Amino acid sequence: MNSSTLEVRNRFDRRLLFFRIMGVVLLLVLASRLIDLQWLQYEGLFLQAEQNRMNVVPILPTRGEIVDRNGSGLAVNRISWQLTLIPERAEHMDTLLADLQQTLHWGKARVKRILSRIRHARKDRPVLLADKLTWKQAAPIAARLHMLPGIDVQAGTHRFYPYGELTSHLIGYLSLAGPRDVRAGILPTEKVGRSGVERLFESRLHGRTGAQDEEVDVHGRRIRVFRRKPPLMGTQLRLSLDIGLQQTAARALGSRTGAVVVLDVRTGAVLALLSQPGFAPNRFITGLETEQWKAWVDDNQHPLLNRTLQAAYPPASTFKLLVGMAGLQHHAPLATGATQCPGYLELADRKLRCWKKQGHKHVDLHKALVQSCDVYFYKLGDQLGMKAIRDEAELWGFGQHTGIRLTPEASGVIPGEVWRQGGRTRKWFRGETMIAAIGQGAINVTPLQLARFAAAIANGGKLLTPHLQAGLPPEVLRVIDIKPQYLDIIRKAMRGVVTEQHGTAHYPLSNLPWQVAGKTGTAQVIAKAQDDEQLSNVAQQNKYKDHAWFMGYAPYKNPRIAFAVFVEHGGHGGSAAAPVAAAIVRAMAATTTPAVAAKEQG
Amino acid sequence: MISTLKRMDIMLILCLLSLAALGLTTLYAAVHQGGIELWQRQVIYWLLGLGLFFVICFIPLRMAGLFAWPVYALTLIALALVPLLGDVQMGARRWLNLGIIHFQPSELMKWVLMLVLAHWFASRTAASFKDLCMALVFILAPAAMIVLQPDLGTTLVLLSAAAIMLFAAGLSWRWAACGLAAILAALPVLWHNMHTYQKQRVLSFLDPQSDPLGTGYHVIQSTIAIGSGGIFGKGYLHGTQARLHFLPEQHTDFIFAVLAEEGGLIASSLLLLLYGVMISRMLTIAGRAPTRFGGLICIGVAIIFTLYVCINIGMVMGILPVVGVPLPFISYGGSALITMLAALALVMRVGIESKGRVYWQRPGSPLA
Repeated sequence: MNSSTLEVRNRFDRRLLFFRIMGVVLLLVLASRLIDLQWLQYEGLFLQAEQNRMNVVPILPTRGEIVDRNGSGLAVNRISWQLTLIPERAEHMDTLLADLQQTLHWGKARVKRILSRIRHARKDRPVLLADKLTWKQAAPIAARLHMLPGIDVQAGTHRFYPYGELTSHLIGYLSLAGPRDVRAGILPTEKVGRSGVERLFESRLHGRTGAQDEEVDVHGRRIRVFRRKPPLMGTQLRLSLDIGLQQTAARALGSRTGAVVVLDVRTGAVLALLSQPGFAPNRFITGLETEQWKAWVDDNQHPLLNRTLQAAYPPASTFKLLVGMAGLQHHAPLATGATQCPGYLELADRKLRCWKKQGHKHVDLHKALVQSCDVYFYKLGDQLGMKAIRDEAELWGFGQHTGIRLTPEASGVIPGEVWRQGGRTRKWFRGETMIAAIGQGAINVTPLQLARFAAAIANGGKLLTPHLQAGLPPEVLRVIDIKPQYLDIIRKAMRGVVTEQHGTAHYPLSNLPWQVAGKTGTAQVIAKAQDDEQLSNVAQQNKYKDHAWFMGYAPYKNPRIAFAVFVEHGGHGGSAAAPVAAAIVRAMAATTTPAVAAKEQG
Repeated sequence: MISTLKRMDIMLILCLLSLAALGLTTLYAAVHQGGIELWQRQVIYWLLGLGLFFVICFIPLRMAGLFAWPVYALTLIALALVPLLGDVQMGARRWLNLGIIHFQPSELMKWVLMLVLAHWFASRTAASFKDLCMALVFILAPAAMIVLQPDLGTTLVLLSAAAIMLFAAGLSWRWAACGLAAILAALPVLWHNMHTYQKQRVLSFLDPQSDPLGTGYHVIQSTIAIGSGGIFGKGYLHGTQARLHFLPEQHTDFIFAVLAEEGGLIASSLLLLLYGVMISRMLTIAGRAPTRFGGLICIGVAIIFTLYVCINIGMVMGILPVVGVPLPFISYGGSALITMLAALALVMRVGIESKGRVYWQRPGSPLA
């Protein structure tokens, strides 16, 4: 072995040692990274692996249904079918869509929309193709699912309002949860009540969302279920409303704009609450188009306005009942006396007119109420002063919320002697008290307040808080301290309105199964406008036409219902509003068999 | 016959059988959901490979020297044929279809080149400039063909293996330093000529979160799988990343993550230990080799083996860019397994020939 071979050999051995060291170093680098990942970063990475595979799927509760007093569905859940597609599982997208287009009669624009939705969606997650399909539509697809890879048909529910417009203001509608609801723990895909009963009873109708912990694979397919927290279903809500009565009221109002409120005089339960025109609440469920919403908002008939409690109008002559009551309570001389009505009253340089030009001649309280004499009440109001009228009105629940809790509720306006207008305090004129005494001028009331007033007269002075739920005991806000004989005077006059020959509602309310007591009202929209102006077209004439009122209760003896009927620009109370009340009373009397009546009284 | 068997390196055999057991167990976990057909196939590959292993153990090492050059020539021809006849897979022409088996000439070339270099330097050293230049020709010819396929990953592995081999063959430190400097200088040029997908891979290696659903996805998911295994693992067949397919390529390049997730730090470090023992054993055999040719063969095999282990595990753990390199004896794949077993058999043969007849012993050592 020569020296050069030895040198080669030695160099080989040195390199071998170098490789051995390098090998150890490399494996140590790998080992340190292993320790880093599996020991030091273990918790974070384990969590990430868990997040990969765990999926918390919310289980939506079924919303409680709303029914009327007899169990008729007012807001129900309909089963509907959903069509979804997982794009990556579809074999020929074009053929598939063409097939669906033919089966479901889709338009070209719709297919285009769906195509763009698919293009922008994740390919391994279901994309919604169609919603709220009926079984008739979905069945031909469900039957051929094995031929349509990627397609799935699933059942769900959606809200449906069988009576549509008829209950639109009362029941309200739903819409997708907003940011505030989401903060309160509701999912963004859930719907919540936005108005009416749906909103008022949201918490009990809604229920609580459940959840299911699932293991999913990389494609999002469910492998197994770990834990299931069932949802808390919403509970059914039975309203005191009688949908038959509501229908009767709507039929009697016809196409006219107006409001009808019917209350149970003993409990304050709402039997009918109708505002016309209404809107189509089911349009909110299927996804309201902006144009439709705009059309409703811009409509000068204001279909979204609930006229029974969101709007206040001058009560006109119906208010005379209250002023009469105030006269009796405050011992105004005229209340127990009498005066002459020549058809007008002169006050300084102005002439306050009675609606009857030739005048009522000799009038006392009874005749003034029955024939609705304005001059008598100008004088009575003058004797009482505005403060007494206002106190009395507030006692009977005017100028304040009724407490029905449907929001927003108007409180109406009962002015005092000192009052503000346009942000400034100004002096109250004597003449204004006289105008207020016949329910005109600044006074505004809601139909609901007026119906409650009628109920309080009927039930002996108990001012009730109106409520919507069936079977609830009466909630008495206050028992008004009034002598029974005073109430009797008022009641007799209300009966006289219907029975006496010159009563303002004599004709329409005769020949009814129940005896009715009531009061008409005809509210001037613009003072004396009709006298001064020659109005050419009908629309303009309508705009200035009087509002018609009729409020009262029935049966006269042993009263059961109280009502307020309001017809916007309807004309005279006696001829426009009283017939609606007649229809209501007839329907009530027909549905209440003597047996039921006896049972309810027992 | 019996004497040959008796002279086999027991440690290497034990390591090999342990790896076979660990590999088949892990592969089963990776593929069992889609049916065990792949797993059965891999068992057959193992049996074929082990058969070949024992056959090679009986062939004198001289024959390897004789066969090296014709095989090198044939592999070069095969590489040349790839652009003309090859199958396109994943956008690159790398495979030749030989009827029963898809054959990747570039894969075989790494091993053949080692053999050729070992034989070339058996009677020469890389310290001689002329001999070094010839060796560079043997190296650069296949490298040029592979880089044109295009397969940058394999080219880089081939070049690094060959460079380390030159170092083993006696390349002076000075030349080695010059070569390293030249490679560093060439990097910008290389970057400029890379394909977009290759640049993507390098970029996503540097920052996997930059494209978490694209190129970076594989590494993010494998890192999660390994880390979530913790020290004791999630239990056999209970790895969520593997079972629910969050882990991509889990039976081939990313199989280490399956092992690490289900077996934890214990199983993964056991695997590293087995590899460590195996490499150390190869180097020991190299030191005792009866001829310089045998010693260089052992070193060449150890180099490729080490590179594979480090590149694959480094890639799966997110410390190296994604390069398609199998995990030796664990990843699914017949041709890779069989070539590796054949290479290991050569090392084994060196060990067998060294026992008792030490031609090239260092004077003064206890064995002299």
